Amino acid sequence: MGHRQTRALAVFLALTFATLPRGAVAHEPQPLPTERREARIPINNFTATDQTGRRFEFKSLRGRVVVVAFAYTSCPDVCPLITAAARQVQTGLSSAEHPRVQLLTVTTDPEIDSPRILAAYAARYKADLDNWLFLTGSEAELGKVWKNFGVGVKHKARGLVDHTPLTAIVDKNGYMRVAYVGASPEPKRVLGDVRRLLSER
Amino acid sequence: MDMVYAQRCINCHGSGGRGDGALAAALPVRPPDFRDTVQRKSNSQIRRVIAEGSSIMPAFGPVLQPSEINDMLQMVRFLSREGRDLAWWEKFDTLVVAHCSVPWETVLGYDEPSSDSKP
Repeated sequence: MGHRQTRALAVFLALTFATLPRGAVAHEPQPLPTERREARIPINNFTATDQTGRRFEFKSLRGRVVVVAFAYTSCPDVCPLITAAARQVQTGLSSAEHPRVQLLTVTTDPEIDSPRILAAYAARYKADLDNWLFLTGSEAELGKVWKNFGVGVKHKARGLVDHTPLTAIVDKNGYMRVAYVGASPEPKRVLGDVRRLLSER
Repeated sequence: MDMVYAQRCINCHGSGGRGDGALAAALPVRPPDFRDTVQRKSNSQIRRVIAEGSSIMPAFGPVLQPSEINDMLQMVRFLSREGRDLAWWEKFDTLVVAHCSVPWETVLGYDEPSSDSKP
């Protein structure tokens, strides 16, 4: 979304909701525009560090469908929506699907997002860490991952990072097959894609 | 004090602290209207929420100086009493726009990884 459109959206939404009755808190979330694109991009093996401080290797997930979201913990923009959507995807998995699907949140701000900070972030979202890891690493390590997934990352200020709002789905053979670009990947749609990829051989 | 609020808070909490920022409608939980909540909270309670986060609200402790967290606190108190028009924030326009807006690079033409590095 361009600068002008975002500003127009901000003004429109602010004026719209300014007319709501005071104290009106219950609402159905209104999704923001999110593009879904199919792809077939091989994802290289990579290493990182998870929220417990353990080392992680992407190739250890071979045979599982992987939902990969890019976000950072101090993001005052769309990352909360992306992580909330990933949580909804996780809760939508059946008990049979749960061990066959892995969720990853890869930080776009490794300067701030230490394992300890990622662990606190995961707890705020009530993430089930059985099949969801929050990954950080060195700039060099993660730079390769961002590039492989097509995620641009621009550091603006301490704790402010402009990045591609990507949620990707990687198939059992390590190919990125679906890319959701935007703030609100629709959890039911993501689950549909995950199930389709689970059914592949 | 204004810039910190413009950079970190306005997207969700809104120009006047009414919980009606540009992203509020998309959030699974509507941010509170400061007029209804802030007066009941102590400064240390508000500082803790800013520093440690709450639910999907980010924790700003790791990225802000204590003085900036105090600035946020003062702004939250101010908005809970007086509010502020959206137009007042126009001067921070470049800071208020979405921070996560880099387009996806489709990585077309990406080289097949070697057999060693394949997942």
